[in-house]
Amino acid sequence: MYQSLALFQTASDMARHAGTRQAAVARNIANADTPGYAARHVAKFSDSYNAARGPNMRATRPKHLQIPTTQTGTPFTSTGGEPSPNGNSVSIAEEMMHSVEVSREHNRALTIYRHAMTVMRTTLGR
Amino acid sequence: MNEFHNAIEVATSGMKAQASRLRHISENIANTDTPGYRRKTVSFDEVMTDGQRAGLVEASRTRLDPTTLERVYDPSHPMADGTGHYQGSNVNLLVEIADAREAQRSYEANLKMFDQVRQMSTALMDLLNK
Repeated sequence: MYQSLALFQTASDMARHAGTRQAAVARNIANADTPGYAARHVAKFSDSYNAARGPNMRATRPKHLQIPTTQTGTPFTSTGGEPSPNGNSVSIAEEMMHSVEVSREHNRALTIYRHAMTVMRTTLGR
Repeated sequence: MNEFHNAIEVATSGMKAQASRLRHISENIANTDTPGYRRKTVSFDEVMTDGQRAGLVEASRTRLDPTTLERVYDPSHPMADGTGHYQGSNVNLLVEIADAREAQRSYEANLKMFDQVRQMSTALMDLLNK
């Protein structure tokens, strides 16, 4: 219903992104003792948001070169942590830090959404 | 929502795998004095579904530690050989305790993840109440 408003759109995208990122962290922690497992992370929301928008160049004519947006789905990046002797590169401390960061990000997104909803209610006089 | 479900499933699989590791450790500790007992070790594998990494983890098949069994000198033991020795187990209690502690820490990390995902999911649901 609210999807047409950019604010709601961005907030829900942010929440969804936090969910994806949290799932990636959960995967890493579950595999913290799996031999040969490389930790995989999802890029930060701000990074992927900026990457999706591309550099600040606008194509105002059809002949202008367009930078193709290669951002499809969620890119997993492997962190360059030093693997332990069994080839596992997960650091539980680092994953915990990521998890807290993601949780706060999710909270922020929900707060923005809720606030925007309040603003809308006020506008409608309810 | 689906991602939360996914994350909870992954955290649960991690807890299950660590629990099975702990069970094998307790078997080893219980059998420290069993003659001829070889300690069981368990490793972890990432689950593959349809050739893709599902992210879930499972405990692999148990393997027996091939290190030599301890030779204990006790001529009065019923299993003692001609030289008065019998073969004990190759369980090292110190190693088992350290392994158990590590398993516990990993279990706690998974539990923490589970809790955090649940909180995020609850916060999302609370939005519906507004």
